[in-house]
Amino acid sequence: MAGRPVEDRTQPLSSGAVNLLFAAPALVLFGCFVLLPVSSAFFYAFTHWDGYTAPRWAGFANFERAFTDTTHLMSYVHVVLYILGTLVFEVALGLGVAVLLNSERRGFSLLRGFYFSPMVLSMSAAGVLWAFVLDYRSGLLNSLLKALGAGDLAQPWLSQPSTALVAIMVVSGWKFSGFYMVIFFAALRRIPSSIYEAAILDGAGPFRRFFSITLPLLRQNVMVAMLLAITGGFAGFDLFFTMTNGGPFGATEVPATWIMKTAFDKNQLSYGVALTVVLAVVVMAISLVYLRFSERLNVHRY
Amino acid sequence: MKMAFRVAALATLLLSSPAMAQTELRITHATTGGGEKEVLDRIVADFQAANPDIKVTQIPFDDDVYSNTGLITQLQGQDVPDIYFQWAGFPVKRDADAGYAMDLSTALASDGWGDTFIPAMWTAGAGTMVHGKPYLVPISLDVTNTIWFNESIFEENGIKPPANWEEFVALTAKLNKAGEIPIVQGNNEFWPFGNWASHIAAKVVPPEEYAAAFARTGKFSTPGFMKAFEHIVELREAGGFNRDIQGLGADPAMATFLEGSAAMHPIGSWLIGSAKEMADADFRYSSFDTPVIDPAHPLAHSVIGTVTGFAIHKKAKNPDAAIRFLKFFTNSDNQKLRAESGALSPVKGVNEAANLDAQTKQMARMLAEAPAMVPPPDTTYPVAVAEAYYQAAAYVAAGEKEPADALSWLDETLAAMGKQ
Repeated sequence: MAGRPVEDRTQPLSSGAVNLLFAAPALVLFGCFVLLPVSSAFFYAFTHWDGYTAPRWAGFANFERAFTDTTHLMSYVHVVLYILGTLVFEVALGLGVAVLLNSERRGFSLLRGFYFSPMVLSMSAAGVLWAFVLDYRSGLLNSLLKALGAGDLAQPWLSQPSTALVAIMVVSGWKFSGFYMVIFFAALRRIPSSIYEAAILDGAGPFRRFFSITLPLLRQNVMVAMLLAITGGFAGFDLFFTMTNGGPFGATEVPATWIMKTAFDKNQLSYGVALTVVLAVVVMAISLVYLRFSERLNVHRY
Repeated sequence: MKMAFRVAALATLLLSSPAMAQTELRITHATTGGGEKEVLDRIVADFQAANPDIKVTQIPFDDDVYSNTGLITQLQGQDVPDIYFQWAGFPVKRDADAGYAMDLSTALASDGWGDTFIPAMWTAGAGTMVHGKPYLVPISLDVTNTIWFNESIFEENGIKPPANWEEFVALTAKLNKAGEIPIVQGNNEFWPFGNWASHIAAKVVPPEEYAAAFARTGKFSTPGFMKAFEHIVELREAGGFNRDIQGLGADPAMATFLEGSAAMHPIGSWLIGSAKEMADADFRYSSFDTPVIDPAHPLAHSVIGTVTGFAIHKKAKNPDAAIRFLKFFTNSDNQKLRAESGALSPVKGVNEAANLDAQTKQMARMLAEAPAMVPPPDTTYPVAVAEAYYQAAAYVAAGEKEPADALSWLDETLAAMGKQ
């Protein structure tokens, strides 16, 4: 014991340029696939470029346009509405279903499987499937309404601005609530049953138990689920693309679909890239604010 | 052992030599189905049989994907296609200026190849020439919008093709009252109705005013465009547009017409090829051009159409094989096959000699008799300007905006867009 050298904890574990060699492969990959595309995006955002001809320097023109482009600005309103919708149709519904199906009774695990099953489908497949269901003339929903004698309620769900965004929110809820259900279900299983037993002895009803025990103990999971829903919402593209492609008249236009349209449909790649830079900054800012906020919430004061 | 080695080496040489000698000719296009695709595959097979040293690889895309991302990524890739499909007009000029399309002057001058085409193909208006030089080998003439109608539905309702716009609006109202879907249009991508709306405008707006607005030297908020949009309102008020117009894609709308569920469908001449594949044998249909709106207008009897063709990439690995293929593709026999599949030929005498079906004959006659051909804005002007006009027209068709508001929106949108 006496002969063992004393570890000098003031020295760094490693030092010297040679250590860069160990980091080099990761740095090269990071540089090639992250830094280079990001910096080239920043460059193109300051040019006029249609993707065919050589880019011309444009200064801040693309960014100035971005802040006067009403379709672009409204796309953020739509994505915020969509995120609020996903918090209800995905996170809250997932939580509700997880609580209701948190049982060992026969058949419940099969039910959980049913609720989770839409997750197996790709987003594009789900979008195409629901576009058929919601089709005005031959869709399942309108056919059902007509069969029930409520033909007057049949609507071109995806063709009118008043219903298209809500329709997408519902489909998104159908697709993802099962995913959040699984997250919450796993967390629910970790809550000791003794707490509920004590609450029942104290006369707490199901709602009181949910709001006083379940929800506070799931707070961490709810925060993660909300973060996933918010960042996922901003990145939302495939469901919008396959179901409405941003239409009708931009009523379901979200930043990602508008970026695709400007960049490729309208051959304005540099403007599309500038909008991507704006989106990246917005998502980064929201994530930082949210993480900061959620960290504060997790500090226990004694 | 030595003998065995020699046999093995000879066998390897024999097996590998044909593959090594073959030249791969890469062709990218937007023909994915219908009669035209069948004919294209047949021409490719015949070409390969006649040229065993060349293997043709087709790289097809759906037309929207092709024009949005499919072509642009290929043109700039390391392994460029030797031949690519393109719409005449603005895209060809852009490709020539950007250095993607090859100047075909020498190739077309050899063996009188250029002289086999209708002379009009080599005029500035055809959109195949840039700075006086040819960059596109024309392969078909497309009417980009005509009004197809279901003959059975017309007969059942005692209706005949209209002689003018007023009659057109009246028959639309009559069909609507009879419980039919008068016109089915799938405008999810804006161009299907946009093309038609630009033809309506071209027949009403003074030509200089029309060109100035699209070239952005003038405004769209003019009495001429106002009049054009008011005609769209007339049609809307007659029940002319299906309720799901903005949610429906172009292909599902065409399918709705071909299955007999709608009386009329305004779309291009490519419907003929799709009808051969999708419609029942007893489906009877015909077409009439957008009726005359203002008889005094110089383009009152115009048709809206465009030329499509193949360009050779400037960096093509096999330009000689590409030229050989295009000469084969545009020879009279192969063009006849294409015409009989519904693609009108730009080659002299082919449409007259081919055994055309009634609808293709009608398109040929329409093009031959029209005093003028109006090109669609998205092949003539910057795409962003054309798309903005298409959206403004869609606003009016769907009743989302009144004509004056739609035109103001259009001018404001273009102003915010800045100089492109």
